[in-house]
Amino acid sequence: MDAISLENVTKSYDGVPAVSQVSLSVRQGAILGLLGPNGAGKTSTIRMVLNILVPDEGSIRVFDRPVTDDTRQSIGYLPEERGLYPRMQVQSVIVFLAALRGMAEAEAERRARLWLDRFELGDWAKKKVQDLSKGMQQKVQFISAVLHQPPLVILDEPFSGLDPVNAATVKDVMLEMRDQGSTVVLSTHRMEQVEKMCDSICLIDKGRNVLAGDLRAIKQSYGKNTLQIEFTGPDSFLNHPAVASVNRLGMGAEAKLKAEADPQQVLRAAVESGAQITRFELLEPSLNDIFIEKTGHA
Amino acid sequence: MRKIWLIIKREYLTRVKTKAFVISTLIVPLLGIGTILLIAFLVSHTSPQNLHLVIVDEAGGLALPVKQNLEAALANGQRQFTVTDTIDRPPSPQAVEHDLRGRINAGTLGAYLMIPSDLTQSVELHTKNPGNFTLLEPLTTALNEAVIGARLSARGIHVDDVNEISRGVHLQVIKVSQSGESVEKGQTIAIAITLVVLLYMSLLMYGIITMRSVLEEKTTRTMEVLISSVRPFQLLTGKILGVAGAAFTQFLIWLLTLGLFASYGAVMAAMLNPNSSFPSMRVPVSLLVWVVCFFFGGYFLYSAMFAAVGAACSNEQDAHQLQWLAVTPLVFTMVIYGVVLNDPTSTAAVVLSEIPFFAPVLMPLRISLQMPPAPQIILSLLLLLGAIWATIWASAKIYRIGILMYGKRPTLPELVRWLRYS
Repeated sequence: MDAISLENVTKSYDGVPAVSQVSLSVRQGAILGLLGPNGAGKTSTIRMVLNILVPDEGSIRVFDRPVTDDTRQSIGYLPEERGLYPRMQVQSVIVFLAALRGMAEAEAERRARLWLDRFELGDWAKKKVQDLSKGMQQKVQFISAVLHQPPLVILDEPFSGLDPVNAATVKDVMLEMRDQGSTVVLSTHRMEQVEKMCDSICLIDKGRNVLAGDLRAIKQSYGKNTLQIEFTGPDSFLNHPAVASVNRLGMGAEAKLKAEADPQQVLRAAVESGAQITRFELLEPSLNDIFIEKTGHA
Repeated sequence: MRKIWLIIKREYLTRVKTKAFVISTLIVPLLGIGTILLIAFLVSHTSPQNLHLVIVDEAGGLALPVKQNLEAALANGQRQFTVTDTIDRPPSPQAVEHDLRGRINAGTLGAYLMIPSDLTQSVELHTKNPGNFTLLEPLTTALNEAVIGARLSARGIHVDDVNEISRGVHLQVIKVSQSGESVEKGQTIAIAITLVVLLYMSLLMYGIITMRSVLEEKTTRTMEVLISSVRPFQLLTGKILGVAGAAFTQFLIWLLTLGLFASYGAVMAAMLNPNSSFPSMRVPVSLLVWVVCFFFGGYFLYSAMFAAVGAACSNEQDAHQLQWLAVTPLVFTMVIYGVVLNDPTSTAAVVLSEIPFFAPVLMPLRISLQMPPAPQIILSLLLLLGAIWATIWASAKIYRIGILMYGKRPTLPELVRWLRYS
């Protein structure tokens, strides 16, 4: 069963399409990376899954049921636009939001304390939200998204504003939830996070789904067309006709090869030019490269 | 229902628990009562001015009657004037006046009254403090009575006879209502105007509180988390009811203190000042019931409108500019309530009080002045209910779209377009 499935979903505002003909399915128990440049339609898509917006066309199903007010009880949501009532106590806010999602208040309170301790916010439970730093508020918001143990969690830029230690904790929680059978949708610009964590991706650009599927399969389909070379000496070989583009790095360069090009020719040209090669490796393209190639911009 | 209840509870508690709420709830009536009591105290305990004066009468014969008139005690038993001396036919008026001016400057005398022999000329009051206008009227009366009395006697007519003949009658206004008759001393108008101001102020105040509360969720970006688990309609309803609960709590406390004060105010005023004429006001219970009905009707109507304004805007400045949408009909009520006050049975008054945007203020006003026929009240309530339904429907639509819109303030045509979105 798919946790989320979209079929030809279209949504426009005042005639301007924000999402057009997007189809997508998210396997239960997987982590999906939802990628796309700013204004691509990610947030609109998420909002339709949450029944905040209603699609103009197409159908959306969550756990094989059409989207209703009930289906969203099973979703935890961390929106990109973050905010909590500034004058409420940290624990009260968490309990209030959990209660709105159907949890009993006593149970919500018990779990809120466990989570606050895990994120080292135990001493702050009775403080007002506005007394917390931005990063702390971020953690409180993350807690309120996962407190009711939803089978589906949608996180929009969950790492922004977090220091490495807390980012690691959030990452651990996400992996933990996946291992317990929950489905996680991670919407972000940060490719390295997606590359590290996601099982599958969906790339949206200008309202359209331009690439979707298993991350490993996608990368393999691009073949090993990226050369990582470390060298000293002349670099004229980088102008070889087989090279499509070059990204100079400190120790050498990363070169993208043209389709059907033979990397051996580049190696030969490098040796002949007198460069001292210390590393020559063929790699799959990075997600960043795929993103740029598909959208034409970073 | 549970979600609406949770929202009501949060909205109510966060409002009621604030210091501002507690302070305004307790301080406002205390301050009001305190001010009234302070005024009553000051009025009764400031010793009324007792002006010591000397009367100089050039022609003679008038000084004594004027002295008698001036020294007649006031209703409260206190005297306003003490005539220390009367000087009839002074041989040298200049010397006398010079001496009196010296005494006034030395502070041993308050004033002197100079009555000329030729009464076509002005009588002069010489005093250090010419700003005290309250003394002029009794002085003029005392002088006129003495002068007229003297002239009448000269023609052989007795003053008392003239007073007897020329005494007018007193007209008393008595209000007739279902519950009987009561003497009117202006308390009907006082109650009516208090009611209008109270309703207008509280509708405006709680409307703006609702608007701010919606705006707060937008500016703090709490909105998106909320509507990922509750429907905008639930959020709107919960918010309006929550603020209504807080409003009702405050209103109830104010009404109770007001009621206590109205019942015991006369007693308290009497304790401080036995001669106080504090009218004991009886506010009929039926009026209170209707006021509460129309207040809540008006509150739901206007707060739904204010909530929509809050939802359509992204910051306080924009909301201030757009809030005329909700404020205008309310302010217009204040412009036209005079029509109802003048003649509550006129066609204009009847029609205006049936229009839902004005009914919350104008119908209670009519009820307080003169009980309108029951069908008119019921029609007005039904129309109000219909308008509440339509406004909440429209507001929920604007709310649903607006709460996720950030950026520039929408124009009126844009708002109308939002209404048509599915």
